[in-house]
Amino acid sequence: VSVPQSVQKNLWREHQVFLALSIVVGVAAGLAAVLFSVAIEFTSHRLFGLSPSALRLVAIPPLVSIATGVLLAKVFPDVRGSGVPQTEAAYHLAGGIIPAHVPLGKFITGVLCIGSGHSLGREGPSVQIGAGLASVAGRWLELSPERVRDLVPVGAAGALAAAFNTPVAAVLFALEEVIGDLNAALLGSAVVASVAAVVVERSILGNEPLFHLPPYQLVHPAELIAYAGLGIVGGVLSLAFCKGLLATRALFRRLPARTLMIQPAIGGLMIGIVLLYVPQVMGVGYEFVDRALNGGLLLKTLALLCFVKLAATIVSYASGNAGGIFAPSLYIGAMAGGAIGLLIHRIAPFPTADSGAYALVGMGALFAGIVRAPMTSVFMIFEITQDYQILVPLMVANLLSFVISKRYQPVAIYHALLQQDGVHLPTATEPTQIGRTAGQLMRRDVRFLAADLSVDDAWRLAKEDGAPAYLVGTAENLEGTITRRRLEASWAGGNREARVAALMDRDVVHAHPDHSLDVVLDRLVTSGGVLAVVSRANAAKVEGVVTADTLLPMGDHVSAQRRNVSDVGTSGSPHSPVRSTIERVRDGKEDPTGVPHLGGGQLAERSLDG
Amino acid sequence: MHDSSQSDPNLISQLIRRQGLQLAVLIGIVIAAFFATRALAANNRTMTLHDAAEWYRHGQDELAAGHVARAVDDFRRATVRNRMQRQYTLALAHALALNGDTEEARNALVALRNAAPEDRDVNLELARLAAATGDITAALRYYHNALYAPWPFDADETRRRVRIELIRLLIAANANDRAQSELFILSSDLPNDTAHHIEAARLFTDTGDQAHALEQYRRALQLDADNIDALVGAGQAAFQLGDYRLTQSYLQKVPKERTDIRPTGELVDLLLGSDPWAPRIGSAERRRRLVADFHDVEQRLEVCATARAGTSSPVDPGLLADARTFDQQLQSRPVVEQETIESAFDLIDRIERNVLRACSPPTTLDKALAIIASQHGGASK
Repeated sequence: VSVPQSVQKNLWREHQVFLALSIVVGVAAGLAAVLFSVAIEFTSHRLFGLSPSALRLVAIPPLVSIATGVLLAKVFPDVRGSGVPQTEAAYHLAGGIIPAHVPLGKFITGVLCIGSGHSLGREGPSVQIGAGLASVAGRWLELSPERVRDLVPVGAAGALAAAFNTPVAAVLFALEEVIGDLNAALLGSAVVASVAAVVVERSILGNEPLFHLPPYQLVHPAELIAYAGLGIVGGVLSLAFCKGLLATRALFRRLPARTLMIQPAIGGLMIGIVLLYVPQVMGVGYEFVDRALNGGLLLKTLALLCFVKLAATIVSYASGNAGGIFAPSLYIGAMAGGAIGLLIHRIAPFPTADSGAYALVGMGALFAGIVRAPMTSVFMIFEITQDYQILVPLMVANLLSFVISKRYQPVAIYHALLQQDGVHLPTATEPTQIGRTAGQLMRRDVRFLAADLSVDDAWRLAKEDGAPAYLVGTAENLEGTITRRRLEASWAGGNREARVAALMDRDVVHAHPDHSLDVVLDRLVTSGGVLAVVSRANAAKVEGVVTADTLLPMGDHVSAQRRNVSDVGTSGSPHSPVRSTIERVRDGKEDPTGVPHLGGGQLAERSLDG
Repeated sequence: MHDSSQSDPNLISQLIRRQGLQLAVLIGIVIAAFFATRALAANNRTMTLHDAAEWYRHGQDELAAGHVARAVDDFRRATVRNRMQRQYTLALAHALALNGDTEEARNALVALRNAAPEDRDVNLELARLAAATGDITAALRYYHNALYAPWPFDADETRRRVRIELIRLLIAANANDRAQSELFILSSDLPNDTAHHIEAARLFTDTGDQAHALEQYRRALQLDADNIDALVGAGQAAFQLGDYRLTQSYLQKVPKERTDIRPTGELVDLLLGSDPWAPRIGSAERRRRLVADFHDVEQRLEVCATARAGTSSPVDPGLLADARTFDQQLQSRPVVEQETIESAFDLIDRIERNVLRACSPPTTLDKALAIIASQHGGASK
């Protein structure tokens, strides 16, 4: 089919518009990042002055957090926290649409929170601001939905490049973290935006590196063992940070909804008390990272700052303030690395590098362990040092930290934070061997049990219906699931007046409409017989259910497809594994008890899910 | 672009034209935002630089008050806020060195030196740091870098101070030859000023080079003939050179209030009045001096022998007998020959050594006779 010349020309012009817009977005994101940084500095200076009194240190964080609490609860409810998870969610689930008030709200609340001393970073908010500006610009120009979506990582790359003065790492971050695919076709646009942003940033702030570093060198090959040790420590600290953050955030989330407005102030008060004793953890804290890199801190100071910063960041973030974890992860890494460097320097039987070199590698290790963007981490430190010699120790430490963190915290922190909010992102690694998706397979006529229904009434309904399990709640608010067996057991045990809410399982094994049949089958087995298919953007919103009866007619078709796709030993006979799985679930032979649930969230997700 | 418009090329063209216009508007907004951001950033930068200056001032105050650790902290804050101001880094390095953290101080200075290898202040601080750690070779190299770096035209005095600092370091390290080399350079370029010549002369004295010290004192006296310090210094240098008459001529001009040089003056007076070898004196005077000198020493020996009699370390009886015998011989000779004087002073030298070892410390006369003895034969012993 020949494409008309005019259409070809217009397509070409659309490409040109997109490229030009990528440059403009890069510049705008760079300017926003610079302005954000300048505004934080200015606010901090105005609020604390040169050497703040004890009263200021204690009072300013909670007082400012009262104001930001109101803003975050009433005006900008979607700008809490880092901004990176929200940007990822916007890219994957909202077609790249970020409302115009989001970058504005992020800017204002981010400046107030970080400027008032909260232990948070400026890079995450910069990413959301840059992505938001890109999205707004794309929609104003009435670009196609695909182009608007594509602009989000472009804006994010530009903002991060300007915020951290590392253009290559920023591009990698946009691809690795925001898109989740290093092979994304957006590489060119992201590079253009990143370069434009860095040019703008340098023309305004000068070509001053973020950190001043002494020359790095691997003094002795045996030092690699020490760096491996640092990687292990980095992994453990990353785990402590991620677990601590998720647990503390879950605690805050359990507080009554009416406290939402004052939660940032609660965090602010705690931070104020911390600042009274350890003011070094205030705000972004790059000044002290610089000191650690230059060997300017004592061992006990490094260790103290490492743990206090870790705790302070958890409190600041979990209490709902606006700010990122990018800078704190670097801070904690620098302190931990510096401390280990000093220890190694004292006890190692071989000559070692200065503690600053370890602090530098520690930054990368913590970043790799917490943010889980190992390539970004390596390139970021490499861009900071511009020294090839650091690559090997850095990769050793990063790899170990990454592996340990991933082993014990399978869901990356940004995704886990989203899951706490009921948002589940897809990942690029999800198998798609079979063409049918949960959305195509599910039944939309879903029967729910009300949470306040008595066991007696519920069992009466269940007896008539005969389904193996039920969803509890409504289509807009899935609260849990309950199996027929549990209802029956409770009814038989005389516990007939109890409410369903008291018996239901709140960790719902579920799938999303885009999940493949493989995933659906896998989860159906552990779901109790009724697998809820929920929205990615809101895991409490039920779009349908998949049951064994829904799938049974497909068993042979599925097996045939599987045979074509892979060499998995299946046959088209009625006794194929797929068919037998479905039959076992239908007949209630697959015992759903002992299903591994992922704690912490309202709705659990298997590790396969993002 | 929207799907609905993809089917109509005219609509797409219109849309793209509009997008071009919108892009132009966006570019305009971005340019305006660029200048606004730059102005705000510049304002912020001024604020930060002001903060840096404040921290630097705090640091100086803390340093002056002896709170070195606090000063280090303040200077660090200053340097983080303004990395371009090397004065802050220099102050930090200085404070770090005072705080005992020489390695970090050196790192900070080396980083500065890498950026500006010929920076005199950085080299100077590095030199001081190397000197403090006892690395004289490195110190010498950095001092030379500092000295031969470009200096402002009105900074001769500062540069001279640096060289003097280096000379003092070399003297303290017993590298007198190197110190003298530096002193020659220093003295070749001294201004016509008494104080400078006196300082150079004292440094020459410290290196043991009395001749050049005396020369510098003379230059000082040419500029100010009554300068007491110069007179004293010249007198002492001449004394060390063995030119007692010259010593006497300088010290006689020193006011009596300077009691510290009185022993030297008395010694020189005795030396010049007791020396039987002195030129342009008659044989009678030569004999008188020799007899008087010998008498004094013999008496001292007698007193000492009496005091030490019966103790575990008596004076050598043979020496006492030799002294009496020689005294009788001396009395019997109306004219003393050169040979007699030499024999007399050999004996005087032996007696002085014994008396010093067994009895009281030397008197001024003893010292004078010892010097005369050492000048004319005794020294060979």
